[in-house]
Amino acid sequence: MVRVVLRALSAWRLIWRLRGGLLPLTMTKLVEWLVGVSLVLVVWAVVSFDLLELSLPPSYREVAWPMPLYLLVSFGCFSLATVGYRVATFNDCEDAAKELREHIREAKEDLRKKGLKM
Amino acid sequence: MATGVDQAAGMSLVVFSLVLFTYYSVWVIILPFVARDHFLHKYFLPREYSVILPGVAAIILLICVGAFAAVVLWKNRKPKKSD
Repeated sequence: MVRVVLRALSAWRLIWRLRGGLLPLTMTKLVEWLVGVSLVLVVWAVVSFDLLELSLPPSYREVAWPMPLYLLVSFGCFSLATVGYRVATFNDCEDAAKELREHIREAKEDLRKKGLKM
Repeated sequence: MATGVDQAAGMSLVVFSLVLFTYYSVWVIILPFVARDHFLHKYFLPREYSVILPGVAAIILLICVGAFAAVVLWKNRKPKKSD
């Protein structure tokens, strides 16, 4: 387990250094993202379908193969929690709303008196 | 601060998503490392459902979004004028 983690960490360091300097200047953000995503996908495929015959313990394979779906579900949960939290802590201004409704009523009265059909 | 129903709805969303995240995490990540006859397995469905249920939920979500769009478009259709 520790060896796998160390291998993954050194791969990440390499990717990080590549992002910094070795790529040609015309590399767009899109291509960067595609390279990163396909690298992650390759690592996932190697681990979950045992393509390199590393013979990891079966419980690791069982954890790895639903990873994309798990990340999607956790992202959905995070979005839902953020929306709920922002709804709960929204800054209602009750007095300003009342004042605004009063202004609208006065304006409508005034315009009706001056002949505007509503 | 948001009032009454807003706060209740928001907080219930937060709690629901936390519960869902915890249950799904234990299901996907922790259960494979737990012994086969541990009592914890009683509280979780067979592992295939951890893929099938989110798939079904995604399909239902897509259907709801499509139905909502269809209803709105239907309500806003204007009859063509022909003299």
